[in-house]
Amino acid sequence: MADQPKIPGSMRLTPTPVTSADDASSQALNEALGSSFLLVRIMMALLLGAFIFSCVFTVEPNEVAVVLRFGKPRSTGADTVLRPGLQWAFPYPIDEIVRIRIGETKTVRATNAWYATSPGDEAIGAEPMAQPTLAPGVDGYVLTSDQNILHVRAAMKYRVADPLTFAFKFENITNLLSNVLDNTLFRTSARFTADNALYKEPTAFREGIVMRMREQIEAMNLGITVDEIVVDTRTPAFVKQAFDAVIAAEQDRSKKVNVAEGYFNERVRTAEGEAAAIRFGGMVSSNALIQAVSAEAKYFQDQLPYYLREPDLLRARLRIEALSQVLTNASDKFFVPDRPDGSSRELRIQINREPLAPVRRDPNAPLTQ
Amino acid sequence: MKKSRLSLVIGALLLVLFLALLFCFQVRTTEVAVVTTFGRYSRDLPNPGLYFRWPVPIQNVYRFDNRLQNLEGKFEQLTTKDAKNLLVSVYVGWRIQSARKFLELFGGDSALATAKAENTLEGLVRNAKNAVIGRYVFGDLISPDPKAVKFDQLEADILKEIKGPALEKYGLEIELVGIKQLGLSEAITGKVFERMRAERDRLVKQFQGEGNARAQEIRSEADRKRDELLAKAQADALRIKGEADAQASKELAILEKNPGLAIFLYQVNALKETLRERATLFLDQKTPPFNLLTGEKPKTNP
Repeated sequence: MADQPKIPGSMRLTPTPVTSADDASSQALNEALGSSFLLVRIMMALLLGAFIFSCVFTVEPNEVAVVLRFGKPRSTGADTVLRPGLQWAFPYPIDEIVRIRIGETKTVRATNAWYATSPGDEAIGAEPMAQPTLAPGVDGYVLTSDQNILHVRAAMKYRVADPLTFAFKFENITNLLSNVLDNTLFRTSARFTADNALYKEPTAFREGIVMRMREQIEAMNLGITVDEIVVDTRTPAFVKQAFDAVIAAEQDRSKKVNVAEGYFNERVRTAEGEAAAIRFGGMVSSNALIQAVSAEAKYFQDQLPYYLREPDLLRARLRIEALSQVLTNASDKFFVPDRPDGSSRELRIQINREPLAPVRRDPNAPLTQ
Repeated sequence: MKKSRLSLVIGALLLVLFLALLFCFQVRTTEVAVVTTFGRYSRDLPNPGLYFRWPVPIQNVYRFDNRLQNLEGKFEQLTTKDAKNLLVSVYVGWRIQSARKFLELFGGDSALATAKAENTLEGLVRNAKNAVIGRYVFGDLISPDPKAVKFDQLEADILKEIKGPALEKYGLEIELVGIKQLGLSEAITGKVFERMRAERDRLVKQFQGEGNARAQEIRSEADRKRDELLAKAQADALRIKGEADAQASKELAILEKNPGLAIFLYQVNALKETLRERATLFLDQKTPPFNLLTGEKPKTNP
């Protein structure tokens, strides 16, 4: 444009100053356009950069993500759920990133069968008011199989097991779970008596709730796993005293039985000891008897040949020996010779000796010493 | 020219984008959509994805939540077949089966339509609940025999009762029904409390009685066992003694060889034994060896 050929005729029609001014302005425009194109180019490069940058996103360690392309999961099968790490997706509205927190444990509570309480009362452990009746919609309760009224509540801790189901199938899964948990409390309570649920089989009661809950979650395909269920039971305040009295009476019964059993053990043990002593005593005295008799028999046998040979001598010897022993042992001895005329003397005895202290003598004592 | 070509490309891109926005729409995986043409139903879109449409004055798109919705019925008093009062509330899990019916019956505003639908459904649920509970006796729900409890059947019956009408009339799919709460009327809870107290009192008395009786039983058993043990021990001791006596008699048979000596030995022994201690003896001169004192000769024959 700048180097136009100069044609003489036309010079007059378009004056040079004008032509040169036109030339300058178009040149300025050109320059302006050129620089703004540069600006646009830079901006486009920046936009492209931002676009690429916005396509990359991070899935945090405690979550998974699903990318919806035009509203439906981008891929099916194993790669539907994106694991933690760097991932990419087109920006909205082409792709939508749905993050699902699977790491954290969530809690859902069922309080439809619990008495009316507030978090404040809970915090200070306030006892519920003892009311003679329970108003529907205010105080909840379950009915046990023996038609007793009990308060039961449960808190279920769960985690997401199937992110797709959990995120896309339910409008409000917390409410649904709370309802199912309430349903489970009522059903399980209807299978237990009050005593069993409270005292005798509290574990079975809790297990029953956990089992039913697991079954239901599987049957309804809720896409979660149960970590634990904490179950609280309590008797209504109005009848609590009566229940406590039964527990006390039951403990009292065990105490009485325990004391009696202690008596039994002590009594029988002592009797066993006594019985052993009686047997042992019998055995000892029998042995002693047999030994004594053996000794006696041996003595007889030893003396017999001498006796057969010289009976009088043996007799005299033994008699005198016995007498001397008797006399040695006797405390008082009186020799009473006959009167000079040969008649016997007369003795008069006055007995006022102290009575002999009773001495225990073994009835089975041997005959010889 | 190079630069105007670039602007053309950008312009074209913008145009495509604009047209895409006008002529396309998405149905998200949690939604169903209905397309109407000039206010008339033209198609249902039950699956997620990208779809074509004519721009607004021609075609309208209505989207509704396709997820399982949760309806909680009122806690209200019902009468069982055996004329007992029972308070029951149920929860219902439902979802939109026919988006067209939903739009036609409840309108295009998703939140408002859902509320209306729930209202309608609640009436249906209430009637079904009434009808079904009226076919069951109280003992079908609360019974000492766990096998007699028919929660499953009752819930299934309510589901059956509402499933058909909900689908036919309102295009709603009922997926689950469960009992959410069960109760008695307030006056009856008072009576139940009275009965519970009476039962507890009876148990207290029973336990007291049982404790005493059992303790007494154990004590008597202890005494009986003691007597038995001692009696047996005594019997054993007696038997041992009998055996010992028998053996002694056998040993003493030797005495039969010479009864004279045996008797003499016994006499000597008896003398020694009886006069063992603290004895006082009076002796005359004839008693040997004191005959020595008078100078008599010892007799050779006693």
